[in-house]
Amino acid sequence: MKIKSSYLPYFLVLPAFAYLLFFVGYPLVQALYIAFTQNGQLSLATVRKTFADPYFWEALKYTIALAGVIVPSQVGLALILALGVNRVFKGKDFTIYALTIPLTISDVAAGLIWYSMLSPSGFLNKLLLNIGIINNPIYFFGYQYRHMEFLAIVLAELWRATSIVFVIILAGLQMISREYLEAAEVFGADYWTRLKKIVIPLLKPSIQSALIIRTLFAMQIFGIVWILAGRDIPILAGEGFYRLTELKEYDVASIYALVIAGLSILLGALYIKFMKAEYLEVKR
Amino acid sequence: MSRKMSFGGVLILVLLGAIVSGCIGGEKTTTPTTTEQVTLTWLSTQLNPPEERAFVQEQLLTEFKDQTGIEVNFIPISYSDMATRLEAEEQTGEVTINLIADLHGGLDFFASKGWLEDLSGKTLEGRTFISTFEKYATIGGKKVYIPWMSATYVMVVNKKAFEYLPDGLTQEDVMKGTEKWTYDALLEWAKNLKEATGQPQLGFPAGPKGLLHRFLHGYIYPSFTGYQAKNFDSPEAVEMWKYLRDLWQYVNPASTTWDAMGEPLLRGEVLIAWDHTARIKNAIETNPDQFVVVPVPRGPKGRGFILVVAGLAIPKGAPNADEAWKLIDYLTKPETQVKILENVGFFPTVQEATGAIPSGPLKILAEGVAAQSATPDAVVAMIPNLGEKGGQFTNAYRTAFERIVLKGEDPEAVVKELGPQVRKLFEEMGQEIP
Repeated sequence: MKIKSSYLPYFLVLPAFAYLLFFVGYPLVQALYIAFTQNGQLSLATVRKTFADPYFWEALKYTIALAGVIVPSQVGLALILALGVNRVFKGKDFTIYALTIPLTISDVAAGLIWYSMLSPSGFLNKLLLNIGIINNPIYFFGYQYRHMEFLAIVLAELWRATSIVFVIILAGLQMISREYLEAAEVFGADYWTRLKKIVIPLLKPSIQSALIIRTLFAMQIFGIVWILAGRDIPILAGEGFYRLTELKEYDVASIYALVIAGLSILLGALYIKFMKAEYLEVKR
Repeated sequence: MSRKMSFGGVLILVLLGAIVSGCIGGEKTTTPTTTEQVTLTWLSTQLNPPEERAFVQEQLLTEFKDQTGIEVNFIPISYSDMATRLEAEEQTGEVTINLIADLHGGLDFFASKGWLEDLSGKTLEGRTFISTFEKYATIGGKKVYIPWMSATYVMVVNKKAFEYLPDGLTQEDVMKGTEKWTYDALLEWAKNLKEATGQPQLGFPAGPKGLLHRFLHGYIYPSFTGYQAKNFDSPEAVEMWKYLRDLWQYVNPASTTWDAMGEPLLRGEVLIAWDHTARIKNAIETNPDQFVVVPVPRGPKGRGFILVVAGLAIPKGAPNADEAWKLIDYLTKPETQVKILENVGFFPTVQEATGAIPSGPLKILAEGVAAQSATPDAVVAMIPNLGEKGGQFTNAYRTAFERIVLKGEDPEAVVKELGPQVRKLFEEMGQEIP
């Protein structure tokens, strides 16, 4: 059978389009319907109910706070690691492999690993007790220790998800032509100048992708918080899940899902608008 | 989602209908003869997780078929779906369900609607049902279900903790659940433990998926106020919350992150814990020498605890009622009950089965459960059957806990605010407030 070549692209896109329609479009419409109707009538009752719940605002606050702490730290850390690895030295490949190992571990598993490390009888406390730095174990978990739980989540997320940023940035670094750097060197630019004037601007597309990916994932952060802090630290995805599975409040859970989707779209749009990638060739 | 599912279901039914009427429409079965294969339809809200389902289908029902030649179609279903289907069948008079398995609350509701067969006249040989279960299964003078499996929530004690018992309390008192094993004694004990070991040694499953709310409405509330919900905002309840706040000083703070107590017990993070039997089973199986299961303490109004009872009932007008009764007979046999306990951790409802449990971890559990059920001051609580509103009911208790114990709000103000909400749930469902 011959297909007219002008239709071919549409045929090729069709499966992806059907997939999106069914698995993203349909649930989205359904969520909107559940969230904004009551007994078949258009209604804002669920929205009011959700916004009146202090848990919602706490969840919003903590989700943004976690993203605000985790994402910049990850990008900074990944940049340092990538710059460190992006040179010739013995054991370079091994270092890269070691740094990307956490990529293979799910967030729940990572949560459990960190839980057992940080628990009162865990590795960290045992170590500190044995070398005599502390006399009583440090508590990381429990409602009374929410700031420590926050710290534990940040540590676990840095450990688990920095590698994805690292991989993206390293790939970006390796694409930068050595000619630019060599030319700069010839003209006497030192390391910092080269970093500031050449490497970082050329890395912008990579940093942008990494930022978008990480920020969007940060809006959906769930497993690690759920394992390490339960509902002591409420987060949007966690509260949506709790409302759905424990309270059977499908309408409120839909609002949570829509808030996460809305925030993701908004942040994605902001990044694209304010972080226009620069290309040296174009910018004369 | 359910909309889509039911649409799919209708589609399948229509297709099936077309096939059946097209192929064998002429010789539609009317009276089952002896040679004909009977297939029972068994709807169950219990044993629905995949591994439990596999146990039912591959072990229980295969053996039943070998013994009787009767096929059983086991259909795991949610409570609300079961209620809808049963109502539809009872109202149209075309009953296809032969047997249902559900918790006491659900069966109680079905019985009140008159959808269940009265099983009073029937007898089962060679087994004595535990009297508490027998009592609850008789509703309005009718025997509406046969008690099948039970579960409860207990306390697990690491034997090391017995070294720090407070004055006047013996290990015997705790194991048997005597008068002296009170919530005040628990407080003293927990305090001793913290002072002696430097760390809080008591644990509760207060994480988001933990069952702390069951402890609140089914254990400590009845123990202090005599009721689960009726005295939610009484002065006794305020006293209870003050007690719980005192106790919480000796509770491991990480409790708010724990969903089940098996792991923390095994890791040695706590020496005493309260939880559902199924959720501490792994700890006892891993280290049977280290742990004992004991009854919960008593409060001023008695020893409140929850009994979860699952029963088997025959819908009114069910076809093949005799075969369904044979299945009930098989499922309540002591051997079958022990097999259920071994595989899925639900406890027997017949006395003969309790004696038949081989010694080991399960015996430790069963003995603790039996000791708790047998305490003379028992205030038995059944989990209220509020359907979709069940989440809101438990959430009220959890909210009270968070606000009073964790955030330190005034207990009186909080219970006064939440009490009417709790009572309203029962009023909306047309149920008596427990």
